[in-house]
Amino acid sequence: MRKSIDFCQKNLALVLLIFAGALFSATTANFLTVTNALNILNQNAYTIIAMCGIALIMIGGDLDMSVGYHMSICGVLCAMLLTRTGIPVPVIVAVTILTSVALAMLTTFLTQLLGIPRIFVTIGEATLFQGFAYVITNSKTISNLPIAFKNIAQGTLLHPSLTYATLLMAAFVVIMSFVLSRTYFGRQVFSMGGNLTAARLAGINVMKMKYIIGALVGFFLGVAAVILIGRTGAAAANTAAGVEINILTGILLGGVSIRGGEGKISNCVAGILLVALISNGMQLAGWNPYFQYIAKGVIMLCVLGFDMFQMRRRSVMNNRRKEEAVLTARQEA
Amino acid sequence: MPILEVSRVTKRYPGVTALDDVSISFEKGEIHALMGENGAGKSTLIKIIAGAEASDGGEIIIEGESHRGMTPLDAKRAGVSVIYQELNLVPSLSVAENLFIGKKVGGSFIGPDFKEMRRRAAQVMRDLGSNIKPETLVFELSTSQQQLVEIGKAIVDNCKVLIMDEPSAAIAVAEVENMFRIVRELRDKGVTVVYISHRIDEVFSLCDRVSILRDGRYITTERLRDIDRRGLIRHMVGRELSETFPERRSRMGEIALEVISLTGNGDFDMDLTVRKGEVLGLAGLVGAGRTELAKMICGDVKPVSGEIRAKGKSRRFGCVSDALNIGVGLIPEDRKSEGLFMDFAVDWNIPSMSFKRLSRFGVVNQKKVEALTDQYVDALRIKTPSTRQVVRNLSGGNQQKVVVARALAAEADILIFDEPTRGIDVGAKQEIYRLMNRLAETGNAIIMITSDMEELLGMSDRIAVMYEGRKTGELAREAFSQDRILELASGYSV
Ligand SMILES: Nc1ncnc2c1ncn2[C@@H]1O[C@H](COP(=O)(O)OP(=O)(O)OP(=O)(O)O)[C@@H](O)[C@H]1O
Ligand SMILES: [Mg+2]
Repeated sequence: MRKSIDFCQKNLALVLLIFAGALFSATTANFLTVTNALNILNQNAYTIIAMCGIALIMIGGDLDMSVGYHMSICGVLCAMLLTRTGIPVPVIVAVTILTSVALAMLTTFLTQLLGIPRIFVTIGEATLFQGFAYVITNSKTISNLPIAFKNIAQGTLLHPSLTYATLLMAAFVVIMSFVLSRTYFGRQVFSMGGNLTAARLAGINVMKMKYIIGALVGFFLGVAAVILIGRTGAAAANTAAGVEINILTGILLGGVSIRGGEGKISNCVAGILLVALISNGMQLAGWNPYFQYIAKGVIMLCVLGFDMFQMRRRSVMNNRRKEEAVLTARQEA
Repeated sequence: MPILEVSRVTKRYPGVTALDDVSISFEKGEIHALMGENGAGKSTLIKIIAGAEASDGGEIIIEGESHRGMTPLDAKRAGVSVIYQELNLVPSLSVAENLFIGKKVGGSFIGPDFKEMRRRAAQVMRDLGSNIKPETLVFELSTSQQQLVEIGKAIVDNCKVLIMDEPSAAIAVAEVENMFRIVRELRDKGVTVVYISHRIDEVFSLCDRVSILRDGRYITTERLRDIDRRGLIRHMVGRELSETFPERRSRMGEIALEVISLTGNGDFDMDLTVRKGEVLGLAGLVGAGRTELAKMICGDVKPVSGEIRAKGKSRRFGCVSDALNIGVGLIPEDRKSEGLFMDFAVDWNIPSMSFKRLSRFGVVNQKKVEALTDQYVDALRIKTPSTRQVVRNLSGGNQQKVVVARALAAEADILIFDEPTRGIDVGAKQEIYRLMNRLAETGNAIIMITSDMEELLGMSDRIAVMYEGRKTGELAREAFSQDRILELASGYSV
């Protein structure tokens, strides 16, 4: 009994996902089919790929708030190269991903130059990227991407709904799970999130690691952008706007702490899918899209609250003291 | 009637019984020591008295009134104040604001009367024999000054029972005397002081009675007049324990580390050498720049000028791992913020400096990780229900052992121990001394920074003394004398 409660707490997202899945299968015809499951995975492949990068950042103790426009700017760059130049598709894809890597490493550089946390640098950058994306596209949607390019995301293998995008996503998830849980690199990331000073004094080259993590995030976001515009066949300045909220909520649901140092990729995948299922459910139920924002906001706040609750439980001692001070203040006043 | 009575208190954590049916009574106006090995349950007991943890059984009786399910506020109302080992002031507020936090001092509903607050704060600090200005911000204060502010807070709260958890661990010898004076004055005013410490001398010179816990069980309460040091230790560890500094038979080898006119991080023109097999003691008051020197040697802070030579070559350490690769390892003094991953398990912390060595092609070998952890948990007798236990849940002393274990596990052979036995019990101290001896005997070079005079004199082959960022002298074993060291440490150069 204790054990199963423990399991549920540790794998909250997974349990909720199964629960939500069961609910949908019971209420919606044709929900529980292979095709539908594969479709859901296909639709979310790009978020999950981006999540691999963002989870890495968060476990390492940082936050990135520029995901959406970072992906958008890579997407429009890629689309423009595809439609306006005759450069071969693989080269364009490589250029897109490298640009993304460069942008993310630039972020790391700025955090060091300015000496401020990544979350603030990326909040600034988000607006910057947004501006650039609108300027270079002139606020127009770029469509008519070449088939060869769309095939990267849409091509299928074995099953008509098993896309390359899904396969790529699965591969990244497996690799990242392994890297984070089993490798020296993963240990360094967790250590940095657990206690940056202790990590530094344990001989981890924190600077270097931040650049490596930055580069990896850039890589994942670049790939995610390619998959996203490959699947939809078009790119615009706001293509990926706001995905950071879905990703962040998914990751937090998946048990990554906002302070870093803990988390599991598999649970984050469950978290992202859960968020996707909920949005999907709301759409099916015909909710007004603005209500969906409200619902997402509420979920996000709940998850953050839960995270804080767990932190508080951990340092009961300290907090009791603070509460005590506040209480005394109230009673005396 | 005792002012505070702990009656049949039990506290269980998953896998440990931290307190097992403990009953102790404290009289009005006494200084009552609470002693026991690391993990004996001392801190847990005071957390329960302070209402910060709920007990699983038993009651706390304050002035004849029984309290069950006490909250921190209840405890405070009943006159119990606690000074935890990690001081709990708000660093960004002034001394006066900290003293009166949660108190209403004159003024209107808009805010307190700050002038009145400062006046009263100045009075409190003056009564404590301190000239700290009430408007000083707390982060500007030294640890010992912060401690005074904590004591001041207890006085403002009109406490009848003041509990102090290892108050002398973080402050310098000279400052300890001042604290003693204040504690004695409080006792003479009728306050009961519960004093937790691992320093036996201190307890004999300060306290009236002592209660001893072992493995969560109450052993005995004695008047210190009626007991001797050996008896006390026997009660604590449950067996005879010789306390002399173990003999070391090491042969000094070639120079392992040489620091030549190193300047930076607040230190100037430091010259030091340590040979293989040697223990170099580094003495000085708190703030003399010893930790700062250690940080430069271990590669964490880049020196401005000067040279570090390790193993015969001039070295430039860009970061800690450069130093570790050469074999220079630091055991930092502040375990919570610099040494430990508090929310990670023991089997992450101990190998945390060694993951690289324990991996092949970048993949960590979990079997080796476990083996290494087990080896050091055994070697240092770290008390933990399992190696999966989160370090935050270990007792203070056992956390310290984990920090030491992590550097030893990294196989560094030029080791800098910064306050290696802070908060560690007698038995564990012996283990760490023996360990250091074994390390020296097998050719490791050790620099030991310590504020514990006995330890300094007992363990060092040579002692270098620092004062305000400079070396003021160096003593060879034959010339060791406590007076000479104190002289050099307060700036009298040769
Ligand atoms: N929150 C917790 N969860 C689990 N175990 C705990 C927790 N707090 C304390 N313990 C365990 O309870 C026992 C007593 O710990 P306590 O901190 O009271 O020891 P102590 O006597 O203060 O030791 P030290 O001298 O090292 O500070 C230890 O075995 C410790 O690991
Ligand atoms: Mg303790």
